[in-house]
Amino acid sequence: MSMSYDRAITVFSPDGHLFQVEYAQEAVKKGSTAVGVRGKNVVVLGVEKKTVAKLQDDRTVRKICALDDNVFMAFAGLTADARIVVNRARVECQSHRLTVEDPVTVEYITRFISSIKQRYTQSSGRRPFGISSLIVGFDFDGTPHLYQTDPSGTYHAWKANAIGRSAKTVREFLEKNYKEEHMESDTDTIKLAIRALLEVVQSGGKNIELAIMKRDESMKILVQEEIEEYVTAIEKEKEENMNIF
Amino acid sequence: MATFFGEVLSVYSRAVEEDDDDLDDENEDERIHREIEEKREVHIVWCPEVAQSLEDSGSNTLQCSDLIIAVGTNAAGFLSAYVLNTESWDAVGHVSLWNERSRGSSRQSIAPLPGEPACLFYRHRDNPAVLVCQSTCYIAEDQLFQWTEKVFGCLQKRGLSVMVLSDSPVAEYKTPDYLYGSAVPFLRSLKSSASKGQALCPALEQPNILTGLPAAVLSHCQVHQIPAVLYQCYTDVISPDSITMETYKPALLCLSKLVKLEPCLSADVLRKFAIITEAQSNLYT
Repeated sequence: MSMSYDRAITVFSPDGHLFQVEYAQEAVKKGSTAVGVRGKNVVVLGVEKKTVAKLQDDRTVRKICALDDNVFMAFAGLTADARIVVNRARVECQSHRLTVEDPVTVEYITRFISSIKQRYTQSSGRRPFGISSLIVGFDFDGTPHLYQTDPSGTYHAWKANAIGRSAKTVREFLEKNYKEEHMESDTDTIKLAIRALLEVVQSGGKNIELAIMKRDESMKILVQEEIEEYVTAIEKEKEENMNIF
Repeated sequence: MATFFGEVLSVYSRAVEEDDDDLDDENEDERIHREIEEKREVHIVWCPEVAQSLEDSGSNTLQCSDLIIAVGTNAAGFLSAYVLNTESWDAVGHVSLWNERSRGSSRQSIAPLPGEPACLFYRHRDNPAVLVCQSTCYIAEDQLFQWTEKVFGCLQKRGLSVMVLSDSPVAEYKTPDYLYGSAVPFLRSLKSSASKGQALCPALEQPNILTGLPAAVLSHCQVHQIPAVLYQCYTDVISPDSITMETYKPALLCLSKLVKLEPCLSADVLRKFAIITEAQSNLYT
């Protein structure tokens, strides 16, 4: 690896790499897993809960943040960088409302966040943001969206995706198990997100946090009992499938 | 003396004996050098039984068939969890040394406290020819030669075979290819030419090199034609971590021929040896 091209963010290596941006992707992999699924009438974000220190107030350790009434996001990577990005996005959502009297579309706010991230990859003296984010929500015409951003400032729309520590495993699970027809049902969409997380989360449902948003409703974070209900149903289905064979 | 450029140089006259002053200065320099050398000397402190065996043998050496050295916290944690956990090992000695980064040993004869960076020796009760050394303290470059000379000086060369497990940050691994996250941590091996038999992982590619204690041990084995194999684990985690420790598992194949090992380790036991920094670190979410 050409070590001398690490130093300055604004320098390309001879083979076209921006090493600082690529290293920022590594910082994302140090955050715990987050998964997002876009259903027809509901959007779901699930995260692996971090073990919180005994004396720490766990309400201050949140991976899922609401940006506005119709958009929320989860991130993976450096906590402090995420806070800055989330704050700027929230301000932009309100500024948009005041200026054009409409809530932001999911694509607009994703583009805004990505532009900030890209700017930090092209300025000297600054480093890229070490976070990837999954942004979900509904536009005012009722269309659901799921977008993923990364430290380089690119964003793409997805039907289901994962970021963070075991993202590759979760993404493979989603590719195998995502079925378009199941996305019509809210329960099945939520179950897909939970099943995907259970692949990589240790000790099951109590380490999962889930947030959902139905069309024309605000974000709802599921309580532990509701998650346990889904987990029990999933385990029952798994057993039934085993018994068939 | 006047020079061409008009400056005046003072010249030492060889007629006058000025040695008396110089002698004192030299003595002081020598004294300081000697003090530093003594401070930086490497001492091996054996337990009474082993010290007795050393005396009883005519050559002041121990009979040793296998020496396993772990350098670094993950290598030491792996040995602690998989090998030393079976309670048939006795602590038989330690190395005490001082340098800027390892200031522990002003108390030479007292064994280091558990958890402190140290260099400890263990011997198997049923098979006393198997020695394990866990080195978690920093050994300075000028002390490496002393360390190897003194440690290997206590062991009989005949029939000796050495295995070294060593940690290294993956940032120091040089490769033209991009390393994907799932590849790390991984093992690479290096052998002395006297070592026959296959290593259990790919050899360390050029231009990567070893440094520090593993390099000193391997060089010593190469020079003295002792069969030695080294397993270097490249990892991206700074602190002891259970996944990195598990990467050393291929070495268990060789070790199981020598001593009884913990057959199936539960993840909880491994985690005990890994520092639980996850809960305290809020840097990444």
